[in-house]
Amino acid sequence: MSNVILEGKKISKWYIMGEVRVDALKKVTFEIYQGEFIVVLGPSGSGKSTLLNIIGGMDQVSEGELFYLGSPLHGAEESVVTRYRRNAVGFIFQFYNLMPNLTAFENVQLATEIATDPLPAADILAEVGLADRAGHFPAQLSGGEQQRVAVARAVAKNPELLLCDEPTGALDLKTGIQILKLLRDFNIKYKKTVMVITHNASIADMADRVFSLKDGELVSVRVIDNPKSPEEVSW
Amino acid sequence: MLWKKTWRELRENKAAYLACITIIAIGLMLFVSMSVIYEGLSNAKNKFYSDYRFADGFAVVRGLSETQVARLASVEGVDRLEGRMVKDVRVFAPEREENIYLRLVSIRPEQATRLNDAMLLGGAMPAAGSHGILVDPAFLEANNLQPGDTIHVIIAGNQVELSVAGAAFSPEFVYALRNPMDIYPDPLTFGVAYLPLETMQILFGEETLNDIVFTLSAGYTYEDVEGRLKPRLETFGLESIYARKDQFSEVMLAQELQGVQSMVASVPLLFLIVAATILYILFKRMVEQQRGQIGILKALGYSSREILLHYLSYALIIGALGGLLGSLLGFWLSFPLMTVYEEFFNLPGLTGRFSFGYLVISLLFSTGFAGLAGYFGSKEVLKLQPSEAMRPPAPPVAKKTLLEGWHGYWDNLTVQGKMATRNAFRNPGRSFFTLIGVMFAFSLIATTGYFLSITDLLILDQFTKVQTHDVKVVFAAPLDSRDARLELSRLPGVNRFEAYLEVPAIIKQGWYEKDTIVLGLEPNSEMYNLLTKRGVKVPLPPEGLVLSQKLAGNLHAGVGSRLEIESPYAKENPVYAEVVDIVPQHLGTNAYMEINALGRLLGQGHISTAALLAVEEGAYPYLKDRYREAKGVFSVEEKGAMLNKFNELLESYSFTYWILALFGMFTGFAVIYNSGVVSLSERRRELASLRVMGMTPAEVLQVLSFEQWFVSLFGMLAGVPMTMLFLQVMASAMDNDLFSFPVVFELQPFIIGAVGTTVSIWLTQKVIFRKIRRLSMVEALKERD
Repeated sequence: MSNVILEGKKISKWYIMGEVRVDALKKVTFEIYQGEFIVVLGPSGSGKSTLLNIIGGMDQVSEGELFYLGSPLHGAEESVVTRYRRNAVGFIFQFYNLMPNLTAFENVQLATEIATDPLPAADILAEVGLADRAGHFPAQLSGGEQQRVAVARAVAKNPELLLCDEPTGALDLKTGIQILKLLRDFNIKYKKTVMVITHNASIADMADRVFSLKDGELVSVRVIDNPKSPEEVSW
Repeated sequence: MLWKKTWRELRENKAAYLACITIIAIGLMLFVSMSVIYEGLSNAKNKFYSDYRFADGFAVVRGLSETQVARLASVEGVDRLEGRMVKDVRVFAPEREENIYLRLVSIRPEQATRLNDAMLLGGAMPAAGSHGILVDPAFLEANNLQPGDTIHVIIAGNQVELSVAGAAFSPEFVYALRNPMDIYPDPLTFGVAYLPLETMQILFGEETLNDIVFTLSAGYTYEDVEGRLKPRLETFGLESIYARKDQFSEVMLAQELQGVQSMVASVPLLFLIVAATILYILFKRMVEQQRGQIGILKALGYSSREILLHYLSYALIIGALGGLLGSLLGFWLSFPLMTVYEEFFNLPGLTGRFSFGYLVISLLFSTGFAGLAGYFGSKEVLKLQPSEAMRPPAPPVAKKTLLEGWHGYWDNLTVQGKMATRNAFRNPGRSFFTLIGVMFAFSLIATTGYFLSITDLLILDQFTKVQTHDVKVVFAAPLDSRDARLELSRLPGVNRFEAYLEVPAIIKQGWYEKDTIVLGLEPNSEMYNLLTKRGVKVPLPPEGLVLSQKLAGNLHAGVGSRLEIESPYAKENPVYAEVVDIVPQHLGTNAYMEINALGRLLGQGHISTAALLAVEEGAYPYLKDRYREAKGVFSVEEKGAMLNKFNELLESYSFTYWILALFGMFTGFAVIYNSGVVSLSERRRELASLRVMGMTPAEVLQVLSFEQWFVSLFGMLAGVPMTMLFLQVMASAMDNDLFSFPVVFELQPFIIGAVGTTVSIWLTQKVIFRKIRRLSMVEALKERD
């Protein structure tokens, strides 16, 4: 655990809603290492998603600094941030967010087409167990299948950082565990960093480190020496 | 991969996009067909003029000999000068109701080439000295004649037999009107015939020539030469001398070309602007709807430029398809349209065609317009941060609408009505789209409807309110009106006689001058009425000139202006008259004066060129018969027959307007259909929820339809001023000497507009109803977008 790939320094984010300022993140400082599995825990409104959006280059900080491999992302040009998202980050969302009028395979291709060092789309789809469903449209897939396509789409870009926002939130236990297993496999097999956001504390047991957020502040960082395997997790 | 997304989405929403493609296609179809016609007409004209040596200058004289003509040919600046004999004669056709005329133009068959040469289309050039004639093909066709047939004409009171040797037309009579007061060429009753000069001289018993045509040497202007010729010609009784640009057929052709050109510039633009506006709003809504997808694309690492390009690709595809379809249809349409022009213009080589250049231009136009619409429609949301884009937009703030305070309205609404009213106000973007769509649809239908009704109205007005005589007797040469009255008013069946004087003249004020006809009318004329815009009769002042609005505009003259008048009828030129009134005139461009005052002004006393008669039924055949072969009477015309003739010709002319009206309606429907279908697709979830709650499809439709009618009502109201604006633009583009389209508030086109719009909305709702019935509740509710 030595290579820092992402470093945040006193990151704050606020939104102006009419005359009120809502602070979503307050001076959060952290380091993220290559190849670790991080779980971010916190109740709704604690700033989890905001943190993920900022780490993923989906949103800009209001204050503070963010570095990817030493290069600043805060205040960076749109093109720099786009390149970062394109090559370094893979996203998985709670509600899959597939393109409704592209097939499973095409959804994966959508990502591999623009990445610089992608993994073969067909292989990845096979790895998530959907080789035979490649030609189906999202509406023809179950929720679990859709989320597996989403995982394949994120992984296929071969990103340094896989960011997952409540990836099991809309799934039942069994399907959820399948997804977590896929994430863990990617983490180990390709030695890439995975960051999972959840309000489900039991998932934290499979992490290397657990960030706990409350009211926009990073209240604790817990290191787990012997993470459980996904199959051992339950909720 | 984004291309696949594009194609699939285009396919899924094909109805909406097809509607846009259609509007673009219609605009470009008009652009291309009118452009092809413009190019075809002007190329054919230029080629014909140069190949058949159309003269640069024309002069009409009382008479001069061939040696005198030869002397004139050596005047400095004249390249070639020829003298001719030009005479109008009546065709002897007792079996026919109407009068038929031929304009005889002398030719010299022995010469290799001639100015204003006749282009031989069939048959052969008549031999010198023979009674053979070349006749314009339109006349031959209309009267069922062929080379070898004979035509009997009346020359100096005698019947003469001429044989048709061939068919030919010349650049001089491309638009063949007997006199400038006619509006449309009527080949059934008027034609041009070329007769060998010697024969003509013998038949008319005249040696002298009465018509001069000439071309200019390089480096000389018409004005140079006119200055040298005029004094010499005056000794031979010069009636008029004028340049090619004032030659009647050329004037008409140039006007038509100008009209087509302004149509090319205005009408397609109208359609393209409508299409671009609709596309713009469509894209704004699509991008709004696809916020989530845009967010994912951004999260995946697609740059804003790539996403913008993706949305632009829709616009460009729609533009390109519309442009392609439009130009192909345009080329296709140019063929039948050209045949309409063939009917009016005797020009060789008129045909529609395919032009690669216009294809490229229209593709550039359509993709340009669509691209701009797409760019401005989609650029907004792209500025969003990806995380923001992925969140649904904040729901619109709910508050009570103004109408809710209006209890009489609100309390009587069904729940559906209440929902619809609130929807209309809470979604201003969507309501605005529908409003704009309905407004455009209404205006397009009403505008085209206006042109249909106004042409009918113009002609009808002219013959039922302005010219109210029954029969017009035209004299062969000006007569003393007192003699004419004595002769005509005593005839059986004649109830009223009015003298009438048509004076060809050039009216000048400072730099401005205009070739026109001054009409002399009786002081209390009941058979030729000057009317105000509202149709109220204007009394004719005892002295001074009354100008038509158009003429006053041309001359920059107002009441009190002193105008200079030059006329072959005047004893001494020029004479001067003061403008005392200005009246509107939609058909033609004339000046009016009390007949005796005009006679005095010209120094001619009580002259008249025609008589207007009110007669009893059945008197016309008697009059016609009585003067059939009279030397002093040129023609006896019945107004009813003229009105019929106009109506017939109008029908073929209004073809263009019908096409426009049809396209107007089609576009209107496309716009409304589009807005309806897009509204539906945006609200599938909402409507499915209503179905889940147990509403029937009809009840669900009520929510949509109530909203659509509600907004459409305002759309139609907004369409009224929009229509007036369209009309102003179109009227100023189509204005010419013969017609001026008055833009007045007429109820009929707005009724047409309202009916067309209502039918479009009704049809759209039929389609939407079918879609609601097929709406899968489960699918729609499961979907997240």
